[in-house]
Amino acid sequence: MIIMSGKSLKRCYSLPIGPQHPAFPEAENLEVKVDGETIVDVVVNVGYLHRGIEKAMEERNYIRSLYLSERICGICNFVHTTTYCSLVENLLDIEIPERAMYIRTIALELERLQSHMLWAGIAGYELGFDTLFHYIWRDREFILDAIELLGGKRVNYGLNTIGGVRRDMSEDVKNKIGKILKYIEKRFKYYIKVFTTDITILRRTEGIGILEKKDAIKYCIVGPTARASGVDYDIRRIDPYMAYNMVDFNIITDNGCDIQARVKVRLLEALESISIIKQCLKDIKKGDIRIKVPFIVPENEAISRSEAPRGEIVYYGRSNGTDKPERIKIRTPTYINLLSIKPMLVDENLADLPIIVMSIDPCFSCTDRITIIDVKSGKREILGEQEFRKRVDGKNDY
Amino acid sequence: MEDIMRIGRVYKRFKNTVWIEVKKAKFEKLLKELKSFDARISSISGYDNGNIIEIIYHFDVNGKLINVKLRVEKDVYVINSITKLFPGAELFERELMEMFGIEIKNHPDPRNLFLDERLSPKNPLRKKIGDNNVR
Repeated sequence: MIIMSGKSLKRCYSLPIGPQHPAFPEAENLEVKVDGETIVDVVVNVGYLHRGIEKAMEERNYIRSLYLSERICGICNFVHTTTYCSLVENLLDIEIPERAMYIRTIALELERLQSHMLWAGIAGYELGFDTLFHYIWRDREFILDAIELLGGKRVNYGLNTIGGVRRDMSEDVKNKIGKILKYIEKRFKYYIKVFTTDITILRRTEGIGILEKKDAIKYCIVGPTARASGVDYDIRRIDPYMAYNMVDFNIITDNGCDIQARVKVRLLEALESISIIKQCLKDIKKGDIRIKVPFIVPENEAISRSEAPRGEIVYYGRSNGTDKPERIKIRTPTYINLLSIKPMLVDENLADLPIIVMSIDPCFSCTDRITIIDVKSGKREILGEQEFRKRVDGKNDY
Repeated sequence: MEDIMRIGRVYKRFKNTVWIEVKKAKFEKLLKELKSFDARISSISGYDNGNIIEIIYHFDVNGKLINVKLRVEKDVYVINSITKLFPGAELFERELMEMFGIEIKNHPDPRNLFLDERLSPKNPLRKKIGDNNVR
């Protein structure tokens, strides 16, 4: 096909990448138009994990919707439940006890640590550095052990409830988490040295995947992707929630605008998380961990937001005087960060595509649909599973 | 900031949030005022309330959340896209169009975001008989 790019007509080839592709751990579809090895245009298609969660929440009561919101994402599930509980607590207009706020803060920062470690390992894998990937994921197991001590499970914590937390933290758990953090801090300083001084990593990340500050502000980008382009915005500082206005921490920004800047911002943020957890473990006082809340929520309308490892999460909710929510709307950070893929990818090499897309830390999911693009006519056809099998196997007895 | 509050009617204040209801005729003026304060669009939510659909634009002005509510009659009124002033609102408006069936003019890319054209149900978030609280 021939498209206009700049002032000249270019003869391009359209390459669909995804939804199943060995370079990406999750499924997304990118229609990439290439001219030789240079990317000219890109269109992002999502919807491969649409499960109708907002509609499902209208038919379940508040406690069952809490468990549903925990299963939206596997990596950042605690911040989803915390924001959901803050939303219902705002609808009811109640305050949770201080000990619950500290325990929630400790779990939120542990989650940020394990999410940034997961991302750093996958970034190493996309660059071809498999040894780094294995080392970082081995050390991540210690943080998952700390989370299991606190909540009881490694992936879906099950720690939050409306009105507080469900499990208390004993002195024994406090000491064990402190020991784990000492070891993790040493390892993180070593990984920061590797990512910022190794020549191969520098060659593959410096000056690539640039997102300028004016584009980041124009498309309303959030999270470490925006902070690496110089936008100083973090919900924990601007609109503090839980125990964040009782601890000291720095917001890390960088003016590099490339992949190396995003790497630095995430790894230095992880060191700040370790310092926040240590302050919380020192300052936490004895007290209640939850208060009793009524089943029926009066008519009201509220909004709550938090800083997930990937950016800002916003929950808007409405109640109607029964025990089921009337409407809940969820906006996750990758939703808005999708708009940053196109400015980053245009005029880059095709071989750099996996690491550039992974550098915004996307959190999609997958279903079982297939897009066929007919390059000659430009027609797109979406097939369901049965039709695809018919075409491929010639059988129709499924 | 007080001029923004005067264009619409403030109906609720809670902690760090302000909720404003605005008429359709004054909506463009409010958008221009918000743009002059460097507002960032955070989210756009919709809600089906019988004969009207309520669209709420959540703007973030230096950490304070300003929520602007607009009421639109179902299948009658056509609203303008805000992507000229706020380019980040592109994906939110696509989701509004497919979930509620609202018509939005001047949108740069008006196709479905999540749902499939042939296999998924139409306008799933509108209230139907048999839903939770609808008799």
